[in-house]
Amino acid sequence: MGRYVIRRLLQAIPVALGATLLIFALVFALPGDPITALAGEKRMDPAVADALREQYHLNDPLLLQYWYYITGLLQGDLGTTFSRVPVSQLLVGKFQVTINLAFTALILEGVIGIGLGLWAALRKGKATDTAILAVTLLLISVPVLVTGFVLQLVLGVQLKKSLGIDFFPVAGAFEGWRSYLLPGFVLAGTSIAYLTRLTRTSLVETLRADYIRTATAKGLTRRRVIGRHALRNALIPLVTYLGADLGTLMGGAIITESIFNLNGIGQQLAQSVYLREGPVVVGIVTFLVMVYIVANLIVDLLYAVLDPRIRYE
Amino acid sequence: MRVTKGVQLVAGTALLALAVAACGGSAGTPQQGATGSGEQPVRMELGEPQKLFYPGDTTETEGSEVLNAVFAPLVKYDDAKKAVEEVAQSITTTDNKVWTIKLKPGYTWHNGEPLIAQNYVDAWNYAANQENKQSASYFFGRVDGYKDVSPGEGKTPTSKTMKGLKVVDDSTFEVTLAAPFSQFKTMLGYTSFYPLPKAAFDASGKVTDAYAAKPIGQGQFQFDKPYAKGTDQTIDLTRYDKYIGAKPSFSKLQFKLYTQSEVAYNDLRANNLDIQDQLPATAIATAKTDLGDRYIDQPDAGIGYISFPLKYNKDYENVKIREAISMAIDRKTIADTVFSGTRVPADDFINPAIAGYRQGACAVCTYDPTKAKELYTAANGPKKLEIGYNNDGGHKEWIEAVAINLRSSLGIEVTVKPFEKFAAILDDLAAKKYGGMFRMGWAIDYPSAENYLAPIFSTGAIETGSNYSGYSNPEFDELIAKGDSAKTEEESLKFYQQASDILIKDLPYIPVYFYRVNAGYSTSVKGVKIDLQNHVVWESVQKS
Repeated sequence: MGRYVIRRLLQAIPVALGATLLIFALVFALPGDPITALAGEKRMDPAVADALREQYHLNDPLLLQYWYYITGLLQGDLGTTFSRVPVSQLLVGKFQVTINLAFTALILEGVIGIGLGLWAALRKGKATDTAILAVTLLLISVPVLVTGFVLQLVLGVQLKKSLGIDFFPVAGAFEGWRSYLLPGFVLAGTSIAYLTRLTRTSLVETLRADYIRTATAKGLTRRRVIGRHALRNALIPLVTYLGADLGTLMGGAIITESIFNLNGIGQQLAQSVYLREGPVVVGIVTFLVMVYIVANLIVDLLYAVLDPRIRYE
Repeated sequence: MRVTKGVQLVAGTALLALAVAACGGSAGTPQQGATGSGEQPVRMELGEPQKLFYPGDTTETEGSEVLNAVFAPLVKYDDAKKAVEEVAQSITTTDNKVWTIKLKPGYTWHNGEPLIAQNYVDAWNYAANQENKQSASYFFGRVDGYKDVSPGEGKTPTSKTMKGLKVVDDSTFEVTLAAPFSQFKTMLGYTSFYPLPKAAFDASGKVTDAYAAKPIGQGQFQFDKPYAKGTDQTIDLTRYDKYIGAKPSFSKLQFKLYTQSEVAYNDLRANNLDIQDQLPATAIATAKTDLGDRYIDQPDAGIGYISFPLKYNKDYENVKIREAISMAIDRKTIADTVFSGTRVPADDFINPAIAGYRQGACAVCTYDPTKAKELYTAANGPKKLEIGYNNDGGHKEWIEAVAINLRSSLGIEVTVKPFEKFAAILDDLAAKKYGGMFRMGWAIDYPSAENYLAPIFSTGAIETGSNYSGYSNPEFDELIAKGDSAKTEEESLKFYQQASDILIKDLPYIPVYFYRVNAGYSTSVKGVKIDLQNHVVWESVQKS
């Protein structure tokens, strides 16, 4: 088991290195001169622009620029943005926000998704089941942009203006965990719906299995049959889904972050791609790649916990 | 364990309270009564400043809004848009070439040091030097000796100081310009002309990043703590009580950083934000009912144009073609419908917010499709036209509207071409990959008619300014020079207006619309006023 984990982590190194080169080359290939773009619609003094290009090595060929980046990286220097802010400082602050948001979303997704799925599966074919399926269909079909703005307007603005309830902040991360509830739900919206449906299907299938009938015939309580035997087996596809979703929740929060003005990596990534700030884009994407790798590893290890037949050597 | 429902409820509430308290303690940013003094700050919307706060390197609106609160300018602008002394006691000249600036006594830096003339000379020399890579360096291009500190691409400066700047005594300094410039006093209200304290420079004479993160100014507000760019969501300022100018009535000011103005508007309506200086386009239609008399709608000094690539494409050489295109555009419908009234049709090269504007000066700026068609056909204009725009600034809709106008009025084929950034249009024009018309906008640096003319249309501005069309007319240049050296304001304005007449005749650009300021404020404040440079006038704002 220990050797398996180490092997998997060692495999991550070439993947991460490859990702840096690939992303660096992609940013390099973007059209336009980032320095003249900095000046907006007024022209920058050519002498100043040239001095800036020299400072950021923008006149050098791709591989040389990459070499500067990698040598800096190995010395623990992640580079700076075009406004001289160290990338490391930027990433630490922004990832804090994004991690808070992603985990709030993941917890909401797990609790609501599995809860609703379980409820629907146990009431299969009844009105509750149909209602839950209808709600999930709605969640899947309405874009995040709409749910985000509608919930912000209704729960953030109108609730405060009409009833004086100031529980959900409109925007920003000023109110501790409360700031993340609404954006977390919006971000997890479609995932909640998928997870609900997945849980329901998975559980309904497991409940038809022979060993469930055996367990019931043995006279076990219904709670024990469902909790100990059915749900545990039904969890395997759900854990896979949740694990893969963590990466999506972290990297795909651009819209949610901008609706709720959360200063996370999604917004930073969009802005840095736009400004062609190679070091920032590479830093963020590499970190996201690592998150995917680690999340997948954890999922694989969880299989063994859920199903004792699975062993890793 | 068996617990009764009541106990469960109490325990749950206690846990929740604990969690709330813990989170409240760990949330880094103070907010609404969480600040030490307990006073709620006046909160204003801000986009993330592009850079840290170096006065000589801040040419964008967000950074200069912050600097405006921290620094006091040499001159301010009165209601008649005339420059009046603020930090300066007097600004005098006899020949528009040698200017003597005397400071009022009593101004101090936030660290307690007195403000002296040397602080201005240091700051200006620093900003002008190309080795310091300050984006506002060109503002000092008129000072004698600028070429010594900024000789151009690939060359090394021969001096660290401009010979045109001379300290007379602690409260007086003298500026010698390379050529007479009557508008110099008007220029001095701009961000780039702020001074810098001794504390800003390190041993090698560079302005430090530590200073730029927490600038020490001589103005109304001082920074509470260094600004961590990229991570901080607010910039918190406290009133500087030793400031001798007009002091604001409240003691805490907070800039809240937003990336989306729609979101900020929602916060404004929920009273989580007090001042928003530019409302989102989507809110304009309802802002009046949402905000009532807390909605501000006033002229802004900006202009939007359609520009001709005269230097690159001979198709537009005949001025009759340019006139026809101008008359084919229905400016009123664009301003009222596409922009929901947040723009007004342009009828001069000088904006109505500035002295020198003449209503209806540009006769060919009136919509006349029949005449346009006649002119265009007679001049044998091209059968196919292109308009380029940068699609990062909400220009698509009005450019499409112009294209529809041109198609229906002139009966020709018109295509619109999006570019990712404005700079990309210029790159493609220079590389001859694109040869069509393009949109262009201008926001003023200082409120003078000259600022709408020389930086955009003079021959010198092709190389160093914003003359992207490559227009050049010696007669125009000469009138600008005459205006620059004229003895009185009235006289120089006369020459500038004549220069503007030449533009109207030559039409290198077509003025399409003038901007308007659409701002709003919450019920917690009153007396919000926005000045010509789009800065909030803090001394007039009051908490209600």
